[in-house]
Amino acid sequence: MATLASSSSSLLLSSPPSKLAQASLPPSLRLSFSSYSHLSSLVSISPSSFLACPASSRRSSVSAFTVKASAAEKKKVLIVNTNSGGHAVIGFYLAKELLGSGHEVTIMTVGDENSDKMKKPPFNRFNEIVSAGGKTVWGDPAEVGNVVGGVTFDVVLDNNGKNLDAVRTNNNFRLQRPVADWAKSSGVKQFLFISSAGIYKPADEPPHVEGDVVKPDAGHVQVEKYISENFSNWASFRPQYMIGSGNNKDCEEWFFDRIVRKRPVPIPGSGMQFTNIAHVRDLSSMLTLAVENPEAASSNIFNLVSDRAVTLDGMAKLCAQAAGLPVEIVHYDPKAAGIDAKKAFPFRNMHFYAEPRAAKDILGWRSTTNLPEDLKERFEEYVKIGRDKKAMQFEIDDKILESLKVPIPV
Amino acid sequence: MASMVVVQHQTQPSFSTLTSSLSDFNGTRIHSQIQYRRKVLQPKVGLQVTASSEKNILIMGGTRFIGVFLSRLLVKEGHQVTLFTRGKAPIAQQLPGESDEEFAEFSSKILHLKGDRKDYDFVKSSLSAKGFDVVYDINGREADEVEPILDALPNLEQFIYCSSAGVYLKSDLLPHCETDAVDPKSRHKGKLNTESVLESKGVNWTSLRPVYIYGPLNYNPVEEWFFHRLKAGRPIPIPGSGIQVTQLGHVKDLARAFVQVLGNEKASRQVFNISGEKYVTFDGLARACAKAAGFPEPELVHYNPKEFDFGKKKAFPFRDQHFFASVEKAKHVLGWKPEFDLVEGLADSYNLDFGRGTYRKEADFSTDDMILGKKLVLQA
Repeated sequence: MATLASSSSSLLLSSPPSKLAQASLPPSLRLSFSSYSHLSSLVSISPSSFLACPASSRRSSVSAFTVKASAAEKKKVLIVNTNSGGHAVIGFYLAKELLGSGHEVTIMTVGDENSDKMKKPPFNRFNEIVSAGGKTVWGDPAEVGNVVGGVTFDVVLDNNGKNLDAVRTNNNFRLQRPVADWAKSSGVKQFLFISSAGIYKPADEPPHVEGDVVKPDAGHVQVEKYISENFSNWASFRPQYMIGSGNNKDCEEWFFDRIVRKRPVPIPGSGMQFTNIAHVRDLSSMLTLAVENPEAASSNIFNLVSDRAVTLDGMAKLCAQAAGLPVEIVHYDPKAAGIDAKKAFPFRNMHFYAEPRAAKDILGWRSTTNLPEDLKERFEEYVKIGRDKKAMQFEIDDKILESLKVPIPV
Repeated sequence: MASMVVVQHQTQPSFSTLTSSLSDFNGTRIHSQIQYRRKVLQPKVGLQVTASSEKNILIMGGTRFIGVFLSRLLVKEGHQVTLFTRGKAPIAQQLPGESDEEFAEFSSKILHLKGDRKDYDFVKSSLSAKGFDVVYDINGREADEVEPILDALPNLEQFIYCSSAGVYLKSDLLPHCETDAVDPKSRHKGKLNTESVLESKGVNWTSLRPVYIYGPLNYNPVEEWFFHRLKAGRPIPIPGSGIQVTQLGHVKDLARAFVQVLGNEKASRQVFNISGEKYVTFDGLARACAKAAGFPEPELVHYNPKEFDFGKKKAFPFRDQHFFASVEKAKHVLGWKPEFDLVEGLADSYNLDFGRGTYRKEADFSTDDMILGKKLVLQA
């Protein structure tokens, strides 16, 4: 696996950044060229040494160059945030990053401020948004105009809408149309939507790239279409999985739970399925670039993911390494074991692998996710909150292991 | 020196791509990915390399696969091209689909320097006598082979090397990027050592790392392996789950990349992965070969390779693991982009080679029969 470059400073000096034929390229391409030259000058020097993804240089600045085309222009941003699920943390990070960049941010969480859901992360940390100067409100997205008190915004980011219109089984808080309609009528200049990479049609040729066929009936697809028809400046972002402090949904924790208790980790299928797990700071940085570069971002779809895929087995191993513990992986066939893989395992039992090519090409975005390092930090927090000591049941795991005649630890 | 290569494709890659499968969809422009562009036989240069001065180019090798296409592109660009080979194969052979005129033009211009590259003294003396501006090393395997070339040509403008993505250390985090860790113990360590020597000598070098190369005249039975089975109407035995992800790159796209780094400042002392833009699973590749060649969807048979002893024979043409590399650096830095998508590229290979009755290796179904025989026994 990629290891960290131990001393990148000596590499920086060796070859001068290449000159660019600036005149002939539009800004977005120009910028991505120059940033790649910067990175590639790190690469060229010693191919025999164990060069790795220069994670240290990536972490120092979110983008290897700065796109400050509109740095002076501060925006009034409304984030409509879901009140649960895997995406909630995106709004939390984004709010803080935008506030840090000097923008005005209101985050509207759907539902009731006093509901039990608000006791969970990231909502129980919303004081961090407030102390950074942001505004937090709650309400029904169908009433968004009232909820935000009649204020107008430059940018609306919808991190909640799942269906354009009511779907019988879905709760109405995921309706998107009212938010889009209100934004349009109130003169919002840029509409951003958090969609899902889950809408890509599975195919023989990974990865999913922007432009690939999507499932036409998917709710998110209808929303994307509606937005593209109603806003001249719109963009849609398709995420997969994410890790990061404040996440509302288990990701790495699922592995840690088993690893620290010395339980086997049951993985469906071969374990070679690819998935994409990004640190949420990468998602936030991509969205921030879009807010700060609306012209470049306009009318585009972006895969909101890291630039590396990891196999399911690989993720288990990385979690174990981060924990400094061994891991026993057990593969099983869900059908043969008589269980629903969706309930048994937090990732899709298939290749589910998108790449963030549009963001790199168009926004000059760079991924900083470094799972081996990031998971160490996640494990530290896992232990800090005492989850390693928490009593847990593993009924589905036990059922799987029994079907395989694998001994269950006492 | 060639001036900066202008990005050849549209300058605003607007990914406003909502699928046209939505029946009531209208409005947003669909961005058609260049990979779906129909590719014509002719190796199209398509570059806007402005007034590239004519170079005196030496290709080590050049009569087998990559070099066959590369040499043609270079000759068309107006360079003087010499092939260093032992002379075992003719210096110029007409390509399938190549017109008589084109071939006559090429064969009248291509030059030959006959010798054995392992004879270092000869390499040094013959190269120094002739003097070359640029060397393409397409068939070098070991670092030792490069030294006499560099010694012979102290004023060499550029040394362009065909390396391999096989140098990357196996990882659970993919795709392989040029910055990733390499494996000093890999089967391709000679390539790695060569890259190191190039760097240490201070010459202006460029290294391209292909993954699996395919296309007409392929001597490595990659697509041919599938075509033999499809033609024979046989099931395709695939090790393991069949979801292993690999990557194929068309030889013509690789040849274009080799041309694009010539005299290119941005390629100076750089490594680039060159392959297809999309990857493919083993199962998917079997299906793509069938589709490209016009065969019905094949029956795939999965087996556990550990249950068999195939001896020295290879039961499957790919390493049994995930193996693919990102070509984003070449795309961003060089403005290079593969012209073939997988099915198109396989069709090109089939139509110009296997489909005409030509191939390099005879079909050998002995390992298939071992696998299928055991499967039948289990089912009985």
